[in-house]
Amino acid sequence: MTLHIALVKTEEEKISSEKAKKFITSEKNGAESIFVGKVRNENDGKKVTAVTYDAHDQTVIKSFESICQKAKNKFDKNAKIFLEHAKGYAPVGQISILIAVGAGHRDEAFKICRYILEEVKKQSPIWKKEHYTDGKEEWLPGHSLRPKKEVK
Amino acid sequence: MKIQLRLYGSSKILSDDDALKIELPNNSNIEKLRDVLSKIISEKHSKSNLKNLPKTAAFFSEKNEVVNDNYKLKDKESISIIPPIGGG
Repeated sequence: MTLHIALVKTEEEKISSEKAKKFITSEKNGAESIFVGKVRNENDGKKVTAVTYDAHDQTVIKSFESICQKAKNKFDKNAKIFLEHAKGYAPVGQISILIAVGAGHRDEAFKICRYILEEVKKQSPIWKKEHYTDGKEEWLPGHSLRPKKEVK
Repeated sequence: MKIQLRLYGSSKILSDDDALKIELPNNSNIEKLRDVLSKIISEKHSKSNLKNLPKTAAFFSEKNEVVNDNYKLKDKESISIIPPIGGG
């Protein structure tokens, strides 16, 4: 198996970098690249305590499969890819996304990691609601999936 | 006719439930749904940040595919509203 993708419900499980490292390990690969995205304590001058992630589950999984397959076709067909994203309430410091790539060489490993991250942000229906120290909360703006030709 | 709008992201402000039942004229399409949604937001959620949502949202059919403005809605159909996304 060369691909692992999942939406991880934060109330049931935490995303684990150890699990990711184990998955991508292979004697065929000379490079491993791991990106770990975490909830940070500040955004746009506001003090953040946590983020709630919402997702359209089926479409997210479909988009993850498509993005990872395209990344393999584009950069390294034999790459091993691990991609998990959090869904639910995640306090500051918790992992929100983890992308781990095992590839033949460093260039491909870095490129696949970056490609997946940028495409997830553009394609996967996931939303963030930030919670602040003053008790307020706010859904963050994002990238519209409405077909461009329809926007007047 | 009535449709069920399944709520995601910022659109969850529209209801405490996961879905919102919306009454529409027969043979309505997505464009009409956008108009009705604009009215709901201006009447009931004017203080929220949802003013642009009817323009910026995409909609997924029951097959989880993006549908365009001409897509004809059916009575009791379940449609997902997809506000602008931003994971990672």
